[in-house]
Amino acid sequence: MAKLAVILGVPIALLATIASLGVVVVDVREGGPHGNRIVVPVPLVLAQAALAVAPAVTPADKLRIPDRDVLEHVGLAREVIEALAAAPDGELVRVEQPEETVVITKEGRSLKVHVSGSRENVTVNVPLHLALQALPDERGHIRTLALAGALSAVRFTDLVDVQDGNDHVRVWVW
Amino acid sequence: MRKSILAGVGLLALSVLPAATAAAQTGTAWLHVRVEEARKAEKVSVNLPMTVVEAVLKATPEIIEKHGRIHLGEEHGLKMADIRRAWKALAAVGDAEFVTVEGEEDNVRVARKGDIVQVFVDCKAKAGKEAKEAKEGKEKESKGRAGEEVRVEVPVSLVDAFLSGEGEDGNMQAAVAELLKRRGDIVRVKDDDSHVRVWIDEQNTQAPAGK
Repeated sequence: MAKLAVILGVPIALLATIASLGVVVVDVREGGPHGNRIVVPVPLVLAQAALAVAPAVTPADKLRIPDRDVLEHVGLAREVIEALAAAPDGELVRVEQPEETVVITKEGRSLKVHVSGSRENVTVNVPLHLALQALPDERGHIRTLALAGALSAVRFTDLVDVQDGNDHVRVWVW
Repeated sequence: MRKSILAGVGLLALSVLPAATAAAQTGTAWLHVRVEEARKAEKVSVNLPMTVVEAVLKATPEIIEKHGRIHLGEEHGLKMADIRRAWKALAAVGDAEFVTVEGEEDNVRVARKGDIVQVFVDCKAKAGKEAKEAKEGKEKESKGRAGEEVRVEVPVSLVDAFLSGEGEDGNMQAAVAELLKRRGDIVRVKDDDSHVRVWIDEQNTQAPAGK
């Protein structure tokens, strides 16, 4: 009886630990009567671990943006993202065309991009602090450790939602 | 019973109303841009908190040099000192029409009215074949000039702030700080096909003011 408890308990505890640390879920639903549904859960801790060890296993130049022109604008991007994060919520951009409407809103500490067309609807959430951490430093180095740390703060967020006809793809962090 | 339900609903509506107003009135200045193009049936609206505009203006390297100053210099044919002197003289005059140009193609009027410098440009609608071509979009030069109307309103304090720099530099930081205080229209451009409006208010949406 005790053996059975250990056999069942260890994987359950492991699953609970992974779930408590966060899981990125990719959910693909194909439309139609014979459409498949594919759900891929990826433990967030795996992505964080990969980012954390990336500097040790990847050549330094691969984790660096060499383009000086791009680097000149990183400061501007950082200031804009910081200003946006501190700004009140609101609709930032709306483009209305006969076929398509694009709306970018700031909600909390995220930018939400919503594109709605006659056939497809796309929603992308960009957590601002994640975008901030994804920016390279002044020497062009991508700060993978900071990015790994920022990932834990995107939990319980819908990152991508694409509705194309009857097909539906959703990526969220649980 | 019905009366008490109605009273309840009324009270609920009254309690929700200030919250809804507060959601639109953010207390922060917002820069709004609205572009409407009738021919393409396209509408673009941009609402940016002035803090974001400030961040962009402060850090745009090609336009603004270090320390938030725009370099006008002599390459534009005018010395900054001359501009400052002219502006000082104009400011002393008070309300007046500084420039009036009545041409064949357009009328230009630059005037000071109270705390505002107004720049009005009215492009006259072209007659006959030219106007027809402009309307049909056949001639690129003519397109958009038939009956175009530009209204620019610049606060005097904004020009003062911009000219408060030294040497050949305009003081962009001071101008942005002044812009933060500004509320109302800044630019309106209207022609037969499109309408552009730029203004600042404290609403995070264009719905009430933009219409």
